Amino acid sequence: MTASGTDTIFSKPRYRTAASPQPARRRLLVAQDAACAVPLLDHPAPALLLSLGGELAADIQQERFPSPAALYLRLQLLLEQAEVGTRLYVVGDETFVWHVYRLARHAGLLGDEIELIKSGARRRLYCVHCATFQDIGEEGEANCSGCGVRLLVREHFSQRLGAYMGVCLDPSRPYGEDRP
Amino acid sequence: MSALMEVRVCAVRQLTPVVREFTFEAAEGQLPGFSSGSHVQVLMPLGERTLRNAYSLLGDPADSTRYRIAVRLQDASRGGSRYLHERVAVGDRLQLSRPHNLFPLHSQASHHVLVAGGIGITPFMAYIAELQARGASFELHYAFRGRLTDAYVDELAERLGDRLHAYDSSAGQRLDLAALLAGQPLGTHLYACGPQRLLDGLREQARALGWPDGRVHWEAFAAPEPGLAFRVELARSGQRIEVPADLSLLEALEAAGVEVPNLCRGGVCGQCATRYLAGAVEHRDHYLDEAQRADSLMPCVSRGGCASALLLDL
Repeated sequence: MTASGTDTIFSKPRYRTAASPQPARRRLLVAQDAACAVPLLDHPAPALLLSLGGELAADIQQERFPSPAALYLRLQLLLEQAEVGTRLYVVGDETFVWHVYRLARHAGLLGDEIELIKSGARRRLYCVHCATFQDIGEEGEANCSGCGVRLLVREHFSQRLGAYMGVCLDPSRPYGEDRP
Repeated sequence: MSALMEVRVCAVRQLTPVVREFTFEAAEGQLPGFSSGSHVQVLMPLGERTLRNAYSLLGDPADSTRYRIAVRLQDASRGGSRYLHERVAVGDRLQLSRPHNLFPLHSQASHHVLVAGGIGITPFMAYIAELQARGASFELHYAFRGRLTDAYVDELAERLGDRLHAYDSSAGQRLDLAALLAGQPLGTHLYACGPQRLLDGLREQARALGWPDGRVHWEAFAAPEPGLAFRVELARSGQRIEVPADLSLLEALEAAGVEVPNLCRGGVCGQCATRYLAGAVEHRDHYLDEAQRADSLMPCVSRGGCASALLLDL
């Protein structure tokens, strides 16, 4: 996860495509779909895979959860017991990986100890006018589900919020069409 | 290194045969506040030249009416520690830089592991005062040679109880770095101050165990090593300066009236990095990477070659 280069905005996330060979004492893998975790199985194999489903034929310990909330809770408990030397690998769409990222940072992991791999188009949008979050796909414009304003999806990404910033697209229409 | 301030020595204590503690108060007005991990430069007039050595402030940061430093007498000293040990007495006046901090506590750590080697205990004396005041979680690992570099060990044993892990090399006790790094909870940050050997060992061990650099903070003993005499030429002013064997380039520049911004004076902070245009350089810093070294040097520790003059972009 580094942001560099001159062609894109600094805060736009860059994702890994494979795990880095950094040393670690314990590797945890979290995947939205276990099948997408294949590129992370090389380099010393992870100790444990948490996923929301999918099949992964690999010889590692796996736990599957019926909902994101259950997975997040399990991960939180694991990290509370974890020691320095733990590395976390996360595969999924941006909404998912950034939720896990923020949870892990809160538990004491550093950004350098977390690797994110993007798989899927879903991402979070934050309306800077009414502070509503909503999930969107790759589209560059969206109607805010909170205030109805037509939003431009900026490339600027907030790691703290785990979302892209949405700003009013047309200054001559600062309010939503369906606003009473 | 802008403003200097004048202080009066108000107490001197010999803590061990080689460690002497000095307490300073403002000659007039008030001393500026400081955060734990800060250091000051002490100016020492040695004959015609002035040496500046950096020392950690070891008092409680909550009390800035006085500053305390502890100085280890160095065998291979260029005269700074010897001057403080042998020439400075209660009532004397000295000039200090204002405090700077290159070794602060990490604001997001939930557990702090402090590792001190010998006189490297000094920044942690201030850390401990602050961590205790905050009620923060920490542990101190203190390696020393008994009755020689064990300044403060009795005081610390009393204040810290089982949070102090003491290792007396004269009693054959060794600091086990791998054991110290194992089993630390996720919010842990590590801070080390001591001889280069200890810092290198710790960083290497930490990396191997999966500690990223962002969790490992360190401060080296900052002192330039002497070398061979060499000449420098300043490209912009045309000034020519001889740097004698026992003076750093930075000190020689200062003696010639050329001010270069600087903080640690020991090759770690990067503040004094200066561009050079020609000449051979013996790089001795721990800051610049290979690419930067192609056109920059750190005059606080690095030196020119004796064959030809070093041309600086000053």
